[in-house]
Amino acid sequence: MDIRLTDIVMQFPGTRALDGVSVTFRDDEVHGLIGENGAGKSTLVNVLGGSLTPTTGQVVIGGRPVRLGSPHGALTHGIAHVSQEGNLVSGLTGAENILLGHEPRLGGALIRTRALRRQAADLLREWFPRVSIDLSRPVGDLPMAERKVIEIVRALRGNPKIVILDEPTATLPAREKEQLWQIIRSLPKRGVGVVLISHFLSEIKALSDTITVLRDGRHICTEPAASLSEEKLVELMLRRTGGAALKAKTTASEAQGPVVLMLRGWHVGAVEVPDFTLRAGEIVGLIGLTGAGHFGFARSLHNSAGARAARMEVAGKAIAPGRPAQMQAAGVALVPDHRMEYALIGEWTLRENLAMVHPEQGSIGAGILSPRREEAEAGRVMRLMNVKAHSSGQLLKELSGGNKQKISIGKWLYGAGERYRVMIFIEPTEGVDIGAKTEIYAEMRRLAATGVGIIIASSDLLEIESVAHRVIPFANQRPGPEIPQERFSEAIFIAAMSGTAA
Amino acid sequence: MSEIATSPQIDRVFGLVRKDHIQRYSTLVVLALMVLGFSLFVGRFLTSQNVMNIAQQISMLTIVGAGLTFGFAAREMDLSVGFTVGLAGVLVPLLLVGGTPLPLALLAGLGAGLLVGLCNAFFVTVIGIPSLIATLAAGSILFGINFLMTGGRAIYGGLPDSYLWLGQGRLLGIPVLAWFMLGAVAVAWFVMERTIFGRYIYAVGGNQKAAELSGVQVRRYRAASLVVCSLFAVVAGMLLAARLGSGQPNAGERYLLDGLATVFIGMTMLRPGTATVLGTFFGALFIGIINNGLNLMGMDTYIQSIVKGAIILVAVAVVSRSTKLNLL
Repeated sequence: MDIRLTDIVMQFPGTRALDGVSVTFRDDEVHGLIGENGAGKSTLVNVLGGSLTPTTGQVVIGGRPVRLGSPHGALTHGIAHVSQEGNLVSGLTGAENILLGHEPRLGGALIRTRALRRQAADLLREWFPRVSIDLSRPVGDLPMAERKVIEIVRALRGNPKIVILDEPTATLPAREKEQLWQIIRSLPKRGVGVVLISHFLSEIKALSDTITVLRDGRHICTEPAASLSEEKLVELMLRRTGGAALKAKTTASEAQGPVVLMLRGWHVGAVEVPDFTLRAGEIVGLIGLTGAGHFGFARSLHNSAGARAARMEVAGKAIAPGRPAQMQAAGVALVPDHRMEYALIGEWTLRENLAMVHPEQGSIGAGILSPRREEAEAGRVMRLMNVKAHSSGQLLKELSGGNKQKISIGKWLYGAGERYRVMIFIEPTEGVDIGAKTEIYAEMRRLAATGVGIIIASSDLLEIESVAHRVIPFANQRPGPEIPQERFSEAIFIAAMSGTAA
Repeated sequence: MSEIATSPQIDRVFGLVRKDHIQRYSTLVVLALMVLGFSLFVGRFLTSQNVMNIAQQISMLTIVGAGLTFGFAAREMDLSVGFTVGLAGVLVPLLLVGGTPLPLALLAGLGAGLLVGLCNAFFVTVIGIPSLIATLAAGSILFGINFLMTGGRAIYGGLPDSYLWLGQGRLLGIPVLAWFMLGAVAVAWFVMERTIFGRYIYAVGGNQKAAELSGVQVRRYRAASLVVCSLFAVVAGMLLAARLGSGQPNAGERYLLDGLATVFIGMTMLRPGTATVLGTFFGALFIGIINNGLNLMGMDTYIQSIVKGAIILVAVAVVSRSTKLNLL
């Protein structure tokens, strides 16, 4: 039986997460769903799983439109959803988790423990005869792969037609993945279709019969897996923003200053960067697919409390990795992604937001602030960044995305003087209109010209192509060979990101 | 991206009056109407004697509330303040009765507040217990200590006049307590609105992640906000005992609930959703006037308690409907 989603539109306040997506899921195949963060994968499976009701569009099962209404409703229509984070109660045993909510009872209130254990064991054996798991242990004590299997068995309890598996192997060590792969492959033969979301392209390729690519909430294509190479998939997934105006390239000759950041043997989490050098005046682009490690690396340069380094030098001085306050003192600044979450306070005025890093600029001594001084410096930064607002006393939340981003950058110019020699930008133009984009690029070039070394981590390849002097592609938590400006091209970026040599 | 540029909303009915202005000042309007109502219908309400009375009644509450405002601004709640008020309220009279000179006794009171604040801060920011729980436990401990110190009895007799003057005397025709209240409000307002310290307290409460990524030592300011709570509470406690003329181990308890209420009411005005010193001051005035008015009308304290509870519910409902109210 097929489950068809037709013309699904999901409108959230201020953003359209799905824009007319139509896909058919079958009960005899593994259907891979891929796309970058924000492409709409999660929204789509949440619609399929009943957690979200689409703004417009239909869910059609066996030729009839249905209203799922809730995850429970979806389940009654044969759709089970195994979420990414996992939904097990870690204090309960495997058997108790499998039959959670459907325990065999005695007189309505008491649970028949022995029957429960037997039924759970039967379910496991029925579905996966070759898997052995100790169902009498609390799931918190079990390996991650076994927990996933328990969750899948629970999902299969009601004999669904389709099981949604959201990043099932994301938390698994490599050797446990194999086991789960076999389980996933076995399901379609038993009449249970799988909708698989994964960030690992190789996994999607290896497991899926059909692959659907989403990008920016739109359906890009649905093809047999055999007809799509990994490189082709990357190309389909990546968002491209148009606009030839953005192509104004930064010229490489600008970047000839002294070394402002030098790293040897950098380890942070699973990311390992053996060698990294940034010079004054240069803009280095970091690219990679989601999970490749480039964002984590960029972030760790400003908040490096958890990092280990054989050697770290900022502006010629050897320092130890540390918390943001220490890294700032050494001269490292960060303009983070998700500005409303990591950088700004919506209820504050522009002036207060700008003064967040260096309030002492507006101080008349002894930590006492002068509104007049603050206003003067905030005004200077706002003119420099061309922020469009009534006054520095306006509330930040009233600004557009582009102007908010200018304030997020302006925080590091307010009262900073020449203090920051290394500036890190993560997704610097997310949710920013074209006009503000060009202004932000111009500002980055201006900063570089004053001798700041700039690192930009972005998933917008056109952005990287137009502002960076050189690019370091990341794949599998490691930096690959550097790409110099004269070799910049989308094809080369994509090849480097998918880990295949160009 | 879920950001939409919101331009200031112009209300159709009120024309040029911005909607957020209506929100900001509606509580003050209610306060004014209340004053008007009591003045018209309760004969003894608007006499200078009664106004001084209200000032005295709300001064300790305002001081406790001003301290709590620091905590709320940093998104920390101190549920031990009532017992901290009680602690200073028995410790200082005990020392005075035992012959300790007044300045030393007052310093000891402040020292006790500092100690309580540092303990709270230690468990919250170093050990990592949510302030709601840590200060609840601290309150229970302080409650026990207060009764242990006094053997459960009130301490009276032998308190020096200079001490009693703080709670009962007048200066330039105005109760000394009111001077303390105004001083506390002025200091707290200045620190919160005009210093880097206050700015960072607000930053930590407004967006902890952003504050940290801007180089603010988040833990230090969360700790400081709790220390300030305790310091203001001991000042209130010392004044309370002076006003009562005795040290009573359970006298401070009501300042927890009323203190929280002043902050909640304050959060409905000026900068809705944010605890501000002036908002808290008006909140204390609100509660003081209700208590006083109902008193003059002959309502008993149980009724007052019901009315106050209802007001807290309304205040919090107003705030949480219009802004996101993230208390913890």
